[in-house]
Amino acid sequence: MLTSETVMRHVLTALPNACVVSTCGYPSRELYNSMDRPGNLYLLGSMGMAAPVAYGIAAARPGRPVVAIDGDGSIAMNLGCLALAAELALPVVHLVLDNGMHQSTGGQSTVLPNDLAAVASGAGYPEVVTVRSPSDLAAVDGLGGRTTPLFIHAIVAARTAAAGHRIRQRPQELVGRVRAFLDDSAPESLMR
Amino acid sequence: MAATNVLEDASAVLLRLAFHGVTHATGVPCSYLKGLFALLETGHESGIRYVRAPREDTALGLASGIAVGGGFPVVLMQNSGLGYSLNVLTSFNLIYDVPLLVVVSWRGEPGTGDAVEHDVIGAKLPDLLTLFDLPHEVFDKADAAGCVDRCVKLMSTTGRPAFLIVRGGL
Repeated sequence: MLTSETVMRHVLTALPNACVVSTCGYPSRELYNSMDRPGNLYLLGSMGMAAPVAYGIAAARPGRPVVAIDGDGSIAMNLGCLALAAELALPVVHLVLDNGMHQSTGGQSTVLPNDLAAVASGAGYPEVVTVRSPSDLAAVDGLGGRTTPLFIHAIVAARTAAAGHRIRQRPQELVGRVRAFLDDSAPESLMR
Repeated sequence: MAATNVLEDASAVLLRLAFHGVTHATGVPCSYLKGLFALLETGHESGIRYVRAPREDTALGLASGIAVGGGFPVVLMQNSGLGYSLNVLTSFNLIYDVPLLVVVSWRGEPGTGDAVEHDVIGAKLPDLLTLFDLPHEVFDKADAAGCVDRCVKLMSTTGRPAFLIVRGGL
């Protein structure tokens, strides 16, 4: 089974100059502890708002790839935001890391549509990919240069490692560095 | 004739917002704001781009992203949407220091005899904003540009989301 870290790393490798907005709780902490970079904007609260914030950044920065990272709990909280794919038609990659639980709060089960991929498709995502195994990840290799939204439903294992450190930067610092990242003419230079 | 005046007022507000650099508008409609929405939906000379949102909190999230990305958004909503909005305001805008401009209708203003579903939030609208230290200004159509100016200034000087409260139609 895939891990959430493997999927996130794969997407970030395919889109090295993307701005990434991640949902609160473990997804942000995992991204921070394993792949921190100036282009990452971690949401500390505002569950359900990763995709709206990502679409907003994409609307302000046409042409810039933007990734929204949700969990199954956070997308369940705001299915309405899926309609932004059709409303804005911007190159946002909306990744849902679905481990079937609210792991950040102790592993409670989530209530999610039976077919999330179909919901995303019906809401207006022109392309929807489901990944369950390492071989499926080849389907998201050609992410660079896309001009339309993409929804990735990643079925992943529950995290077994500890969540790692809490995010150390203050929220204002996170905004400052992501703005500098967006302003940089060669964002790749800020990677790694 | 009344409708024409509403559109004139709404147009003046949009032009003044654009004068201050507003690039995008998003939100959820209210009948008190239908002039603004009518102009935004058909494309207004202000050049402000309108993005429809399904719910008020999502509109704030979208606007927050636009602001982080370097745009200048305005959010339009009915005061009934403030409840949904509080989480985004308190756990994003007020801790990341990403201020926004919000035009909020005042349904249920005491003494107006509005529909009962607006009574409770309407009675507490200014108090609710004050409770969270959210600066606000009540719109006066006799001084539309001045109201927009003051609201933009409230946002920039406090660094907090600033609310333009609209009673009646705009």
